[in-house]
Amino acid sequence: MHIARIAPPQRRLADRPTLILLGGAVLLMAAMAAGVLFGPARISPGGLGAVLADFLGLAPLPDAFRRDAAVLGVIRAPRVLMAALIGAGLGAAGAAMQGLFRNPLADPGLIGVSAGAALAAVAAIVFGATVFGAAAGALGLWMLPLAAFIGGLAATLLMTRLGTVGGVTGVATLLLAGVAVNALAGALTGLLIFTADDRQVRDITFWTLGSLAGSRWEQVPVVAALVGLPTLGLIALARPLDALLLGEAEAFHLGQKVEVVKRIAVTLAAIAVAAGVAFTGLIGFVGLVVPHLLRLGFGSGHRIVLPGSALLGAALLVLADLAARSLAAPAELPVGVVTALLGAPFFLWLLRRRAGGVA
Amino acid sequence: MRRRALLGLAAGLPAARFAHAAERRLVTVGGAVTETVFALGAGDQVVAVDSTSTFPAPTRRLPQVGYLRALAPEGLISLNPDLLLLSDEAGPPQALAVLRAAGAPMAVIPDGAGLDAVTRKIIRIGQAIGRDGTALAGTVAADWQALDAPLAALRPLRAIFVLSAARGAPLVSGRSTHADAMLQACGAENCVRDFQGYRPLSAESAAQLAPEAIIMMDHALAEAGGIDGVLRATALAVTPAASARRVVAVEGSYLLGFGPRAAHARRALAALLHPTANLPALPGRDWV
Amino acid sequence: MIAAEGIGFRAGGRPLLSDVSLELRPGEVLVLAGPNGAGKSTLLKILAGEMACSAGTARLEGKTLGDWHPRDLARRRAVLGQHVGVAFPMLAQAVVALGRLPWHGSPERARDEQAIAAALAEANVAHLAPRAHATLSGGERQRVHLARALAQLDGAGMPAALMLDEPTASLDAGHRAALLRLLRRLAGRGLAVLVVLHDLQEAAFVADRVALLEAGRLIACGPPEEALHPALLERVYGLPFRNLPGIGPIPLLEGALTQG
Repeated sequence: MHIARIAPPQRRLADRPTLILLGGAVLLMAAMAAGVLFGPARISPGGLGAVLADFLGLAPLPDAFRRDAAVLGVIRAPRVLMAALIGAGLGAAGAAMQGLFRNPLADPGLIGVSAGAALAAVAAIVFGATVFGAAAGALGLWMLPLAAFIGGLAATLLMTRLGTVGGVTGVATLLLAGVAVNALAGALTGLLIFTADDRQVRDITFWTLGSLAGSRWEQVPVVAALVGLPTLGLIALARPLDALLLGEAEAFHLGQKVEVVKRIAVTLAAIAVAAGVAFTGLIGFVGLVVPHLLRLGFGSGHRIVLPGSALLGAALLVLADLAARSLAAPAELPVGVVTALLGAPFFLWLLRRRAGGVA
Repeated sequence: MRRRALLGLAAGLPAARFAHAAERRLVTVGGAVTETVFALGAGDQVVAVDSTSTFPAPTRRLPQVGYLRALAPEGLISLNPDLLLLSDEAGPPQALAVLRAAGAPMAVIPDGAGLDAVTRKIIRIGQAIGRDGTALAGTVAADWQALDAPLAALRPLRAIFVLSAARGAPLVSGRSTHADAMLQACGAENCVRDFQGYRPLSAESAAQLAPEAIIMMDHALAEAGGIDGVLRATALAVTPAASARRVVAVEGSYLLGFGPRAAHARRALAALLHPTANLPALPGRDWV
Repeated sequence: MIAAEGIGFRAGGRPLLSDVSLELRPGEVLVLAGPNGAGKSTLLKILAGEMACSAGTARLEGKTLGDWHPRDLARRRAVLGQHVGVAFPMLAQAVVALGRLPWHGSPERARDEQAIAAALAEANVAHLAPRAHATLSGGERQRVHLARALAQLDGAGMPAALMLDEPTASLDAGHRAALLRLLRRLAGRGLAVLVVLHDLQEAAFVADRVALLEAGRLIACGPPEEALHPALLERVYGLPFRNLPGIGPIPLLEGALTQG
């Protein structure tokens, strides 16, 4: 009886991945509902009913609720969907990179994607108008995301090329290549900032703080494809990443094509993060904190950590964005600031707790 | 399909709102835009402003929509505005696209420096809020032009505009800036011709440019620790302006806004740069 | 079942193995012995398919190891490395369960629970199953990973190989004996066991055959009494040995000499 009581309670739950993931899905649904229902523009129950009735084709929308329809349908719905997709991508990519590098501090920044996206985004901000001139108007809203996406992928590609010697991508070489690529991208970004004018510098600053304020319906399918699909792909890598928990040689002994897995994981994570960052700017800490939380609660098995990080990352970013919209209304906090404000103290608490637990 | 229907309905928003002109709610973004709306007598309709709108005094009691380059679509809509009056400096473009998609009623006013830009802004803003701006534009133009002849007679002073000097190399204004335009208008010559926008100035370039006067915004001067603090920066210490302690400070939005206060700002800076010149006094105006 | 022919391996221009030929047969314990740097671990890695040799061929049932799909290979051979760490906190039971990964997508999946329980019992670590891996001692971890390797081979159906690199290094005397007896039992059931051992008495106790390596060359391969002959050992280790019946070869250190 005594033994039964000291057995860790999470073990029983960890044996039921379906139950845990169902819980995560419910949490995400609740967060998304909150994200659509709440915000600085207050929606009355009557307004919500009228908009829903119109949406379902039950009754035409009365004039009085047109604003509510615009807030729900044009502003919040695409924004919540974007937040969920991008949060899922950041969470799953973070979990996958930590598993791949066997390092709890790994995040997609290690594979150069953030630095590359930032460099390209800054270039788009500084040169966009002059290089593209009139075309910038037509291409305008897509130019920066496109540049950031390509920049993020290019940096990761460069890094994996540098980190691969004789067909083998060594984790240590990769990490060092990442440091070099990050430093190079940082220096070039600094050079661009030097040539930027005052207004561009401020635009750059706000971009690096992250925001979902620009979310529109036309972006949703793009993000669903470029973030959603790679996220599903990463979740499918749960077993190889489990094997990698023991090390690369052991993963091979357990039947995994280690080099292939590494390449696929890095590529999928880079696509998911680059596409997310392209539309929102840099959003930190989701990819770092969320997988930790999952491991703390349910163990390190990737069949829970990967999909769990996607669900919890999505819920976290939706709620962080709700906070970003609401706290400073009618102004808005950068969402990256909110995630870091929530994430950093939590992370410290986690570290302290772990240190205390071991001692 | 359904989403289209929603968008279509939302687009009907402005017409419905415009019907009640008496209770119009304006959100103004951009210092010159806000000043102009108040100068046109519509200040009581303004329900929120951005962080660059700090004049006139009543704006400081209004809700803040944040920095003009980081606007929040839902925050703006939550104010139930009948019109969002935005400087074309406002952004980010993605947020403005969301506002447009949501059918928010918007008017975008081109910014610019110089008298023509000022009068254009006033007329455009007047049209947007349903007030005649020609009288205000004419008055500002007359005040501005009253200074043309006396200032043209003066020897232009070699000057630099320092945006900030609190950290590292001082950030100075090059060509194509509001500061550059204001210097030219005030009997000064911006000696920084080599670049556009704001850049750090090295000590060697500063020595070579040899400005006779340094112009700053008052809060930047305070941040830098007053005149003594500013002149401690090596790049500025080597200039003739430093030897003469000719450092002049004016409130930023007044000096660089190019709104209805532009003529008075021009006279104020000109008088500081040329204390001995005989400049005509401008009549007091309600909006200054 | 696994046959090496003329294996050579060079690293950085230096030969680590040259012209090694040997066969690992089902139902036997084959011990790799030899001084430090003789190439024992390298040979084990090549026979495990983990590294490709620079000369010669290594085949599993006639098919070159490199041509096997890693998953199919993993269903036929398991490896217990020298130091296996776990990157993130895990329960010992979850570590053992990783041994079942190669069987994902096969009917053997249904036997996962049973195979894990059997492996835990066989390695005598059932009581450690609910413990966190990080809280286990070095020896306990070694046994948990042995259970993982056993769980991996459960269900092979065909001849399978278990390869262990110095598995007794962190075990106490009691657990060493238990491990060696377990290896004998496994060989008795038809498993091919390849094990790197430093202790020659352990080698003599457990081996059906011993492969003695020196500087990358196979000096002898045969029953312990041949391959661990004191004359041979003296040449390889530069130290006199005496073969004690029932104990095996013991090195004659100065202390041992005076007492003997």
